[in-house]
Amino acid sequence: MIRVENLTKYYGNLRGVTDISFQVEEGEVLGFLGPNGAGKSTTMRILTGYMPPNSGSAWVADINVSESPLEAQKNLGYLPETNPLYAEMTVRAYLNFVASMKGMSGAGKEAGIRRVLGSCGLEDVAHRLIGNLSKGYRQRVGLAQAMVNDPPVLILDEPTSGLDPAQIVEIRNLITELKGNRTLILSTHILPEVNMVCDRVVIIHRGRIAAEGALDTLAANMQADSTIRISAVGVAGALSDKMKTVSGVERVELLGTSTGEEAHFEVHARGGDDIRSNLVAAVFAAEGKLTEIRQMRLTLEDLFVRIVSGEQKDDEETVNA
Amino acid sequence: MHNTFYICRRELTSFFFSPVAYVILAAWTVLMGIFYSGAFLSYAVVSMQLARNPQAAAQYNITPTSAVLEPVFSSVTVILLFVAPLLTMRLFSEEKKQGTIELMLTFPLRNGQMFAGKYLSVLSIYLIMLAITLVYPIILSTFVKVDWSIVSSAYLGMILAGMAFLSVGLLASSWTSNQIVAAMIAFMILLATFLMEALAIAASEPLSSILRHLSVGMHMRNFIRGIIDTRDIIYLININILCGFLVLRSLEYYRWRG
Repeated sequence: MIRVENLTKYYGNLRGVTDISFQVEEGEVLGFLGPNGAGKSTTMRILTGYMPPNSGSAWVADINVSESPLEAQKNLGYLPETNPLYAEMTVRAYLNFVASMKGMSGAGKEAGIRRVLGSCGLEDVAHRLIGNLSKGYRQRVGLAQAMVNDPPVLILDEPTSGLDPAQIVEIRNLITELKGNRTLILSTHILPEVNMVCDRVVIIHRGRIAAEGALDTLAANMQADSTIRISAVGVAGALSDKMKTVSGVERVELLGTSTGEEAHFEVHARGGDDIRSNLVAAVFAAEGKLTEIRQMRLTLEDLFVRIVSGEQKDDEETVNA
Repeated sequence: MHNTFYICRRELTSFFFSPVAYVILAAWTVLMGIFYSGAFLSYAVVSMQLARNPQAAAQYNITPTSAVLEPVFSSVTVILLFVAPLLTMRLFSEEKKQGTIELMLTFPLRNGQMFAGKYLSVLSIYLIMLAITLVYPIILSTFVKVDWSIVSSAYLGMILAGMAFLSVGLLASSWTSNQIVAAMIAFMILLATFLMEALAIAASEPLSSILRHLSVGMHMRNFIRGIIDTRDIIYLININILCGFLVLRSLEYYRWRG
């Protein structure tokens, strides 16, 4: 549905993105992750036909964006990062304008406007000026604008940035509802959002794709080791020694002790095996009283930080070599 | 066509939403009124004097059209020098500043349609302003005989000159995201075309003729005197074509630079 091949874009001498390729299947929600300035917006802008790439090609709804931009753009809804709106228009007049720009007319246009006013919860403010709306409502107008012609492809650039937590949840729910059978690319740097909404992620860093795949497989690939946090009351040295004897344990780290002689450990183990019950047994063997045990999951944050900092390490190595 | 119409309509709505529109329209009406009443009153004095002196009257051949309307029409071009940049300054620069141009450029829309929509919107505002000035020849015709063929030739000239001025304004607006800068650039270019005539007097041939032919004032003067010359029409229309072409290049550049 969406395909990007060897996309490269320069801003003067600055590299925006370098040799980016990925694919999004029909009905899939792709999370586009990366630190600020990584090239997310650049890639999206190329996909929308706003900006031509220096080399490479992009297809939206299986139409080449560079060859027939107008055809591709008809199948596209786009919410730019800054969510630009005409403050002097009413919500309804603005949606009417956008619908006309997208080639809608007559009853179809009217129905489209009514549909997005309903689905984005804008009926109450339809006749108010956009300039007088709150940020949350403006973001809804931006989404409504992107969807007014019911496009098969939606590209949303940081749809929840700058909103308060309640509004973020609102917009996120809205996106989940609206997913339907649309193909959606969503860029963000709020990671929990990706967990909730996306089927697959592309992590982009310094203009290149750093990782790509379904969330679980990405996490599983990275999660060769497991980390367990244990708190227990007892003699810290004895506890630590006993736990080290458990098979698979690589390293036991004493994080600190709190009042009542409660010691906190972090246990690093090789392999994906669950060794929690063995550790509990070890604690009892050292005559400790277990107060807490918790398996640390590799979150998307960890994944993200690892990829981003790992890349930096690679860069340093190449510099040193 | 469809898209052009909606862009034009949106621009007009935005224009009349802002107080700038009413300030410009009010200033225009007041200024034109001052010019007209000044010319009208001085003609009243002159015609009174000439009525007592038939010899001088025959010598000067002053008609109401030439004495009252020609100065008014000439002043339109001068006021337009200030008004055209003010009317056009926001058309592209505002969209660049607000970022709305990003969305516009992702709509299934040709750059030419966007230019045409904006051009038509500002042209229709100008035509409304010109229509207001029609009241002066009409008032004059209730007192004296007005030469309507000269009036229509003058209006053709004012429409063509206005179109040329507005396209220069649009071009300047497409160059920058700052409205004030856009207005200043447009004003400078338009002023330069006016000053070319003054330069032509000082310059030697063939530069002198080239400068004179490039000046808007010279081409306007024929229309106001009732002379419709294809050279003048082509000159003024060429300015539109040139500016339109450069606006499209400028939008193209904007896309590439991102």
